[in-house]
Amino acid sequence: MKQKNNGLASVQRAALGPYGVWALLFIVVPLIFVAYYAFTDNSFRFTTENMTRFFTARSANGTYTYLLIFWRSLKLAVISTIICLLMGYPVAYILSRASARTQKILITLIMIPMWMNFLIRTYAWMTILQDTGILNSLLRTLGLGPLHMIGTEGAVVVGMVYDYFPYMILPIYSVMAKMDLKLEEAARDLGCNSWGVLRRVIFPLSLPGVISGITMVLIPSISTFYISQKLGNGKFYLIGDAIEGQYVANNLHFAAAIAFILMVILLAGMALMQRYANRKAYV
Amino acid sequence: MKPMAKFYTALIMLFLFAPIAILLVFSFNEAKSLSVFSGGSLYWYRELFRDAETLGAVRNTLILAFSASILSTIMGTAAAVGIHRLRSKAMRAAMDTVTNIPMINPDIITGISLMLMFVFVGRLFGAATSLNFWTMLIAHITFCLPYVILQVLPKLQQMDRSLPEAAMDLGCTPVRAFLKVEIPEIMPGIITGLIMAFTLSLDDFVISYFTAGNGFQTLPIRIYNMTKKTVTPKMYALSTIIFFTILALLIMTNLIDTGPGVERPAKDKPERPAARKKARRIALGIGTVLAVGMIAVMVIAAPKKPVLNVYNWGEYISDGSEDSFDTIKGFEEWYLENYGHEVEVNYTTFASNEDMYAKLSSGAVSYDVIVPSDYMIQRMKDEGMLLELNFDNIPNYQYIGESFRGMYYDPDELYTVPYTYNFVGIIWDAEQVDEEDIGDWDLMWNEKYAGDILQFNNSRDAFATAQYKLGLDVNSDNPQEWQAALGELKRQQPLVKSYVMDEVYNMMESGEAAICAYYAGDYFTMLDAAADSVDLQFYTPERTNYFVDAMCIPSCCQNKELAEIFINYMLEKEPAVANAEYICYGCPNSLVYEDEDYAEEMGEEAMEILYPDIERFGELYEAYAYRNLSTEMLDTINTLWEELKIN
Repeated sequence: MKQKNNGLASVQRAALGPYGVWALLFIVVPLIFVAYYAFTDNSFRFTTENMTRFFTARSANGTYTYLLIFWRSLKLAVISTIICLLMGYPVAYILSRASARTQKILITLIMIPMWMNFLIRTYAWMTILQDTGILNSLLRTLGLGPLHMIGTEGAVVVGMVYDYFPYMILPIYSVMAKMDLKLEEAARDLGCNSWGVLRRVIFPLSLPGVISGITMVLIPSISTFYISQKLGNGKFYLIGDAIEGQYVANNLHFAAAIAFILMVILLAGMALMQRYANRKAYV
Repeated sequence: MKPMAKFYTALIMLFLFAPIAILLVFSFNEAKSLSVFSGGSLYWYRELFRDAETLGAVRNTLILAFSASILSTIMGTAAAVGIHRLRSKAMRAAMDTVTNIPMINPDIITGISLMLMFVFVGRLFGAATSLNFWTMLIAHITFCLPYVILQVLPKLQQMDRSLPEAAMDLGCTPVRAFLKVEIPEIMPGIITGLIMAFTLSLDDFVISYFTAGNGFQTLPIRIYNMTKKTVTPKMYALSTIIFFTILALLIMTNLIDTGPGVERPAKDKPERPAARKKARRIALGIGTVLAVGMIAVMVIAAPKKPVLNVYNWGEYISDGSEDSFDTIKGFEEWYLENYGHEVEVNYTTFASNEDMYAKLSSGAVSYDVIVPSDYMIQRMKDEGMLLELNFDNIPNYQYIGESFRGMYYDPDELYTVPYTYNFVGIIWDAEQVDEEDIGDWDLMWNEKYAGDILQFNNSRDAFATAQYKLGLDVNSDNPQEWQAALGELKRQQPLVKSYVMDEVYNMMESGEAAICAYYAGDYFTMLDAAADSVDLQFYTPERTNYFVDAMCIPSCCQNKELAEIFINYMLEKEPAVANAEYICYGCPNSLVYEDEDYAEEMGEEAMEILYPDIERFGELYEAYAYRNLSTEMLDTINTLWEELKIN
């Protein structure tokens, strides 16, 4: 009997084979190529020039070009992520406590916009946020005057929040849905008020969901290059724009260098966050 | 739900669906505008179903999404089963890390890394095309895999380990136990994974953008490449149809038990037989989908009739929309009639000269006919990327006007056949701008119109406006002159509302902006869709950019004679007139500009603006056209441009 079961296990372990090969070929090796291009010049000779260029290139007025671009991308991405979290967390909570039927309907509704093409969705936001757009006509009829929105940092943030919002809700929701409701009751019985329940019970338990939500929003918003072009009126040049710009200008090696630096920073950041989260979860 | 919760949820839904509502409404627009609604009609829906290229892109997108999601689900499920059984902790940690990489890495890095590898390996083996459908499929499977694994793995962990053991105790073989007991148990995870993979693949733009190759264009890429011309309400119509299809599908399938990891860990699942029946039904469904997907893949991979790969600007050919002539279909029919066998044209688009050059010079793609602009032709010719044409196959070249022959980029008329020509002019809204203020480039720097001015969002055209204004040479190799132009652009920056390409249409049509510099022919497209409250006018500054886009055959061409036959066909009267009317740019073909019906169709104003003085064109062109710049110069300009954009 034991024998049979071991047979099953090893057959099943073998099922990992194709994926292992695939992951090596198409996940690991390509990253080595990024590093290879980042540290070579056009004739594939070793150089660190691409790296130093990223950290030392300065514009006429003395600002560090790429560091500034990176800082700006990080800032907008972090703001968007925080807004997504603040807006999405209550949604996830409401969802997880609703009746099964409502849950299903709402989840579907939240997913639907993701099926509309991302470029088209962003385009539609242009129509809404323009000075002569839908939102401003509405504000004007209400006597709240026209607001200048398109081309501001705010508009870029709206675009990011909109496009990646579902990625924040879904992971938090799936953790909360599995939470044992009795824990909440117990905390209340022991004298916790609502805020206390949230802070001491619900939030710590939902932390894994929060972490993956943050990851899933922060990463795409830091590297986007379409939203900033369309909703930022081409005035917010982000790190994604820089990579794409270098690619189009046929500077593959420098594009790879920017990508490499971004990747290293993000991986390090994520590792730190994961560690922090693990400590939190067990203390 | 409490009232507060209800209200909040309603607000969130409003936020999520506002843009969807916008595109629903504008898909029924009568005019070709995404910002001015001028009356309801089903026009764009009819247009959509006539647009073979867009429908082709939809088909490609679906084929890719089906194949990628099915294959990644199979491989991902197998991987999850394997990972679940791993005993070594180190192995387990390694697998987790690798699986996490595509999720933690931004799309742009996944895209670039795969592209670099494919191109490098392709070059190593001397492949004619290293980017194609298969590389895109590999890329999509790669970024879908982790999502599948992360859906399936938790279901395996939740499963009671004794279940398969019990099955085997009762006489099941291991395989049978796996199929009959484990699979139904983890089925919800598999299905969620499949749906997620399908969604991600369908919506992906960034990774596709970097790994897209020959002739296989998905919908997002097609939309992105419309950046020089306008995104039409046709795309909104398409989105509306997608929206209702999905809605219908979701309602039909009741979707429910496929929701992502929803149900509470209920220990007591009462209706086991029902669950099993459902699982069987779902498995059957997946099987069907799989079969259909595989057949679709085989259909596109099957050997076909001779194929001609054409690479052109987005929206740069008469494609049968708006009751126009369908050039591609026209060619295929014409070819069958004259040569007695079939041919297939694989028509794809690019967003800029640089974009096209990047793809071609990497050796990743192979095209038969391309349509670059003059300065890019010069560069490609110098780098040996173009083939000499055999003009015996292109007798219609005789119709090309004298003023368009022997241009600097091809003085001996060996490599090119001009397709269109145009120039940059200034478009202004007479409702917002005083007539006395117009005149030359100064209008673009007039502080009176601060916040209403649009500037190009591409470095060469933007710098040129400043250079023409200052009387500098747009082809200067003196970095100081470019610095001076940058200074002028920085001075203009506070006045600029937006740096634009295709957004220019919406902004000018709706009166959102008052002044822009753009290509003369596009002014007429804007006029057609402009709101009643807007009065668009046009003038040509004395010094401005004149350009020619010409058909060439790149050295990677696989079927030169066929390419030449195609170029010749493009000069025939019917397609040439149709293209000139569709694109609205000037046409160097005398069959077109001497044609009275064409002149009538375009109208007097258009003829005057587009063909002011054909005799003088050569002179103006010689004086103001862009030339190819050295790589160092291009790098400098790119740096200066970044400096402008970060301010």
